[in-house]
Amino acid sequence: MARMDLISFKGLRLDGRRANELRQIRCKMGVFSQPDGSAYLEQGNTKVLAAVYGPHEIRGSRSKALHDKALVNCQYSMATFSTGERKRRPRGDRKSQEMSMHLRQAFQAAIRVEVYPRSQIDIFVEVLQADGGNYCACVNAATLALVDAGIPMTEYVVACTASLANGDVPLVDVSNLEENSGGPNLTVAALPLSGQVALMEMSQRFHLDHLPKVVECALQGCRDIHQILDQAVRRHTEMSGSALGWGNRAQVDL
Amino acid sequence: MTQNVHIRLASQRIDNTIVGTSEVPRLYTPGEIITCRSGFMRGHGTYMEEDALTASVAGVVEQVNKLISVRPIKNRYNGEIGDVVVGRITEVQQKRWKVDTNSRLDSVLLLSSVNLPGGELRRRGTEDEQMMRKYLQEGDLISAEVQKIYDDGSLSLYTRSLKYGKLCQGVLVKVFPSLVKRRKTHFHNLPCGASMILGNNGFIWICPTVSEDEENGLGGFTENLLEVVPRTDREVIARLRNCILALANCKMMLCDTSILYAFEESQKYEVLELLRPEPMLDVCVLTQQRLYMQEDE
Amino acid sequence: MWTTKTFLKKRKGSVLKIVREHYLRDDIWCGSDICTICAHQNEELVLEKNPQPKNKKFPFPHYIVLDTCVVLNQINVLEEDALCNVIVVQTVLEEVKHRSSSVYKRLLDIVGNPNRKFYVFVNEHHKDTYVEREPGEKVNDRNDRAIRVSVAWYESHLMSSQADRRKRDRVKVILLTDDVDSKQKAENEGLHVATISDYVRNVEDCPGLEDRLSQHNTTYELQAGGREPLFPAHFTPSQIHQGIKSGKLLQGSFLASRENFLEGQVNVEGQDKMILVQGRVGLNRAVDGDIVAVKLLPEEEWSVPSHMVLQDEGDDSEDVLEEENAILKSKDERVAKLPTGHIVGIIRRKWRQYCGILQKNPIEGSVRHIFVPAERKVPKVRIETQQADILSSQRIIVTIDSWPRNSRYPLGHFVRALGTIGDKDTENEVLLLEHDVPHSKFSEAVLSCLPKLPWVITEKDVQSRVDLRHVDICSVDPPGCTDIDDALHCKELENGNYDVGVHIADVSHFIRPGTAIDKEAALRATTVYLVDKRIDMVPELLSSNLCSLRGNEERFAFSCIWELTSEAEIVSTRFCKSIIRSRQAMTYEEAQIKIDDLTQNDTLSKSLRGLNSLAKILKKRRIENGALVLASPEIRFQVDSETQDPIEVEAKKLRETNSMVEEFMLLANIYVAIKILEDFPECAMLRRHPKLPVSNFEPFIKAGRNLGFEINSESGKALALSLDNAVRPDNAYFNTMLRILATRCMMQAVYFASGMVQRDEFFHYGLAAPVYTHFTSPIRRYADVIVHRLLAVSIGADVTYPDLLDKRKSHSLCHNLNYRNRMAQYAGRASVALHTHLFFRGKVQDEQGYVLCVRKNALQILIPKYGLEGTLYVSPHKGAKQNVTFVYSEEKQTQKCGDVIFRPFDPVTVQLSLDRSNVQHEKIVLKLVHPQIPGFSVPSLSSVKRKESDENLQEEMEISEVSVSPPIEKISTKKQKVK
Repeated sequence: MARMDLISFKGLRLDGRRANELRQIRCKMGVFSQPDGSAYLEQGNTKVLAAVYGPHEIRGSRSKALHDKALVNCQYSMATFSTGERKRRPRGDRKSQEMSMHLRQAFQAAIRVEVYPRSQIDIFVEVLQADGGNYCACVNAATLALVDAGIPMTEYVVACTASLANGDVPLVDVSNLEENSGGPNLTVAALPLSGQVALMEMSQRFHLDHLPKVVECALQGCRDIHQILDQAVRRHTEMSGSALGWGNRAQVDL
Repeated sequence: MTQNVHIRLASQRIDNTIVGTSEVPRLYTPGEIITCRSGFMRGHGTYMEEDALTASVAGVVEQVNKLISVRPIKNRYNGEIGDVVVGRITEVQQKRWKVDTNSRLDSVLLLSSVNLPGGELRRRGTEDEQMMRKYLQEGDLISAEVQKIYDDGSLSLYTRSLKYGKLCQGVLVKVFPSLVKRRKTHFHNLPCGASMILGNNGFIWICPTVSEDEENGLGGFTENLLEVVPRTDREVIARLRNCILALANCKMMLCDTSILYAFEESQKYEVLELLRPEPMLDVCVLTQQRLYMQEDE
Repeated sequence: MWTTKTFLKKRKGSVLKIVREHYLRDDIWCGSDICTICAHQNEELVLEKNPQPKNKKFPFPHYIVLDTCVVLNQINVLEEDALCNVIVVQTVLEEVKHRSSSVYKRLLDIVGNPNRKFYVFVNEHHKDTYVEREPGEKVNDRNDRAIRVSVAWYESHLMSSQADRRKRDRVKVILLTDDVDSKQKAENEGLHVATISDYVRNVEDCPGLEDRLSQHNTTYELQAGGREPLFPAHFTPSQIHQGIKSGKLLQGSFLASRENFLEGQVNVEGQDKMILVQGRVGLNRAVDGDIVAVKLLPEEEWSVPSHMVLQDEGDDSEDVLEEENAILKSKDERVAKLPTGHIVGIIRRKWRQYCGILQKNPIEGSVRHIFVPAERKVPKVRIETQQADILSSQRIIVTIDSWPRNSRYPLGHFVRALGTIGDKDTENEVLLLEHDVPHSKFSEAVLSCLPKLPWVITEKDVQSRVDLRHVDICSVDPPGCTDIDDALHCKELENGNYDVGVHIADVSHFIRPGTAIDKEAALRATTVYLVDKRIDMVPELLSSNLCSLRGNEERFAFSCIWELTSEAEIVSTRFCKSIIRSRQAMTYEEAQIKIDDLTQNDTLSKSLRGLNSLAKILKKRRIENGALVLASPEIRFQVDSETQDPIEVEAKKLRETNSMVEEFMLLANIYVAIKILEDFPECAMLRRHPKLPVSNFEPFIKAGRNLGFEINSESGKALALSLDNAVRPDNAYFNTMLRILATRCMMQAVYFASGMVQRDEFFHYGLAAPVYTHFTSPIRRYADVIVHRLLAVSIGADVTYPDLLDKRKSHSLCHNLNYRNRMAQYAGRASVALHTHLFFRGKVQDEQGYVLCVRKNALQILIPKYGLEGTLYVSPHKGAKQNVTFVYSEEKQTQKCGDVIFRPFDPVTVQLSLDRSNVQHEKIVLKLVHPQIPGFSVPSLSSVKRKESDENLQEEMEISEVSVSPPIEKISTKKQKVK
């Protein structure tokens, strides 16, 4: 079978984006009232809900408590209707467990866990529709939910995927179609302001010659997403803050 | 039984935030540098990153002398001594109860911090320790005051006042702690015929008003589940609850005035209708207008 | 900017909904120089400001928009320079890509040519031209509508930029479509529209453009009137799809028979037996290479391949049916039948351009002619041209357009002329084209990758390489060889062991991955040796100078050095990049003399003797392991230096030194293979020679058995042994012939990427080696370059690059290498045949030959002297009378005539001459001289003396040498000198 060209010679991808363009990102914070923080995020057709509970007393066995920092607990699940063919197990399968682990890894790097010893922070994400870059959408949504919950983080955790088209053109924010066409995929979760990488994962091997530019492409994607998320956070904070009347407290502007 | 269930498409939902008139202050988001100047002390919601004071939450900067902190719009309850809180018992331990007060760690209510039936001068013996579950068991609600803050940030409560004690026959409403306005008193006997405890931790207790004399001497652990609360009282309580939720939904500060205004403005709706977004928004807008008018006066 | 596409897909009975994003953009420009609205980059301004109106029908400036069908059918017209300022909308591009990848590639080539001014407009992602499919609308209709919407958009878009122009100067947009419905709709919408033929006929100053118009079924059917369909209709694609799914039909590639135009086989994947298809109806318009759907006949209707050699010589349809009947009747009941089927549909055409000649229509002034392709597997093609008078004496290229049911021949059109028939350059060109050998000059980009002269070895080079300049290294090659890629040395060590080195030209030092020169070399894959020409894989500066390990010049090499005991046991192996200085570049003959002349005791002679004795042990051991010694007729031509015409043909001689060099090359290849496989288990490029199913040997074993020799093909070793034992004292050439036949039974050895093949299939059957690769000829084989790179990485002398480690890329590269190698081999053989023909021009000669095999109506005769194989027809040619009859016995493989019996391997004397009656296929005609059969054989030519070459001329002669290599491994020692 002839492999699809991921990028046409006119420089457009299958869905009409250019190589360095993200999919459309739409998001909303504070979508639930029950959790401490929540967010909904769409990255193209990938749609994700995130809810954050905590920090709170450790539930269940107390022995899990860490004396010097908070425990971060993540759960990744995919709705049964999220994929083309109905999923049997929405959570708990190997892939979900792996995703949960990766989420935890990324957030432990960013949440200031040392502020909350002996506490627990729960992050639940649910993929409502999967169209590539599920992990990234989850990380981005969970970041918004954490900000919504007022949990201190050194900075936003932002994730983005990148792939390689036609052997040398890096593609940012890979869709499901592009993911499945067989090229290697790189997922990066980064702290874009400091440029630190919290997690990096690839589906296949990249040659060392290609890796730097693909990583750079993914990091640039992270920076772009960071801009979008930051705007969303400011808008949200502005709205709810002004409704509260800013709590009538002393404000300073340094 | 028919149920009124309203499910809407995302696109049909209404935006329930009410834009206040106040000027938007400078906002900081996680990772943003507040200042590089030295000589400041870092407070909550900030951290030092290579000599730069950096925000770790999204919100407004507050400065108290040299102490700079960033206050998020929403977070868990940070207790302060003297706060009135409403909490739920989660665990009964030796000589103490663990209480969920919506803070990041469960608070502690020591056996020694409660008034036991039988008066103030009683000695507490092992007998009482064994009887603890009799007084308060898991799931029970209490009102209390913050007595002390431990090093790890958890709170110590006490109920050794007749105001405080076990709560029954009422409704608990949970809102974000930052929505509750700090006031001198958090106990309100509303003219509409219900009492309300606005816990600083965002837990709000609504119950039928109990006359002063009845209350006397009870402050403790009696439960009167046999008494039937009349329907009119229950309706008032339900309406209050819905009004509080409506205000919370619109992120309006909660205090006796705002709740009372909302209660009054909501009269044109059925209690049930108040669960739908349009009436909720309507009530909030009207309430806010009245609050502004009051301020102007 | 954003919309979604929703598809419903059905799979395994369940419905799958697929939702895809589809972004609409506002930054897609129109590409026209007129436009003042779009924010173009300069290079995006493709369409001219003032296009020249060159059409009588549309005498105003205009751009053209093409419809999908127009592109698919008329790509040849588009390739002409006449049409410029063309807008290709993405809808069309996608459809073309989907329907035919070859046309798509050609279209991209046109678009890539800046002079042609073709602009691709991405209408599918433009916010104003995106068209949503309406409920109930067919995909094709939507696409047509999308094209029309784009035309309308262009029209209004351009209009807004040229409001200030005079009305008749304004650029309009014309839609070219052959779809009647779409044309009608476009007219209703007020667009300019025309059919392609309408447009092309009205193009000014471009004669001949019309010839290139593709012939449609429709036009032919109209002309043919009420003629009976000659062929059954093909199944529709959905019928085929269902048939294949349900197992009633089989899918496979059709391979036409070279000898019989009414017969072919279908190679169905996953089945080891080919399906036979016979007769006009059975073939049903399939052309060689097509992917077809076959319906298997019930077993009682199965047939056997007719052993007839049949060529399509008729000009029209009448006489064919008789021949056909003859074939079908001649079924032999006794022989095992093959699965037989009928082709019922074509899944994919693999039509390409074909070389051939024009057979002029006898009716003067007619524009309709028959084209006869050079490849006999391809049917004749009916074409229309005005230039028949000029073209009839030329070799031309033609492409097939369609094959309607009522036409005996496919319809095609003329593409271009190559040159005069019979001219050697033209014939060479034909040969290269037919074998798909890339032979254009190296491009500027490639040449710019070459190192600048004078080339010097820098200090850095010396540091990074092992200096072996002090070692006495020499090279041994055929005379006149200029691309010396291997050299050897041998030194006796103090402990009695030998230090032996094989030094291979370090081509990968000069050809860096990813450069233009690398891509070109990968495409060419191999140097192609023709009798009088060498088509280099890399430019001459490298092949004959910088990489060639010439005597007394310092060169970079990749060395493989062993320590061997005197019993040729390997003690240690090492690889290194080195600098060497070959002491002497010797020929095989010189080396042989040095070895034999015991008075010479210099280091070189000693080292050669050491190598020779070790090689003998190695060879012996290899043969004991089961390596095969196979044979093929190899000849060399002596060529006239002036005219390059062959004067004399002689069989090639093999010396001990040939085998000596060969042994060490084998050794190096095997050790390199082991090393790279160890370090790159997934992506090592290796070479394997598959063991073939015993069934392939059946005819061969049968032939042996008839003569009383039992041939055992169970294993390589058994085969080698039985071949060794099959000797007939009365026929010295018998054993060689057996080996030739055995070789023909073998499969081709192929390159492969180690990750794509199961480990147990790595075996190299011919050499009896568990792993094998090509390392020793990087100058003329690309596989060796890759192997060099792998080895360099593995010893840390170089860095990897992505494609080297991508097993899929390696796999597709191997695919190309195998294809090119095969083609190069065929081209080489064809070149020999061409020169044989040149040699026999005007000559008649009696030669000793042997019956190679017996066919139903002919004998295959091998003439060892010329390495030539010819057919001696024993049954009369159609129409001719013959008063002797031969009786064919399939069981015994004999032809009997009276008391003369022909068996395989029997010696015969035949008279050779060249039949030039058919200009396209000049062929060598064989006539029987001995044994005499009255009325059939011809008298000996002994009275007619063959003209001897002039003595003086002999000295001036350049010797050129070529060989037809066997399909299995042999270290090639064929090189040649090209002036």
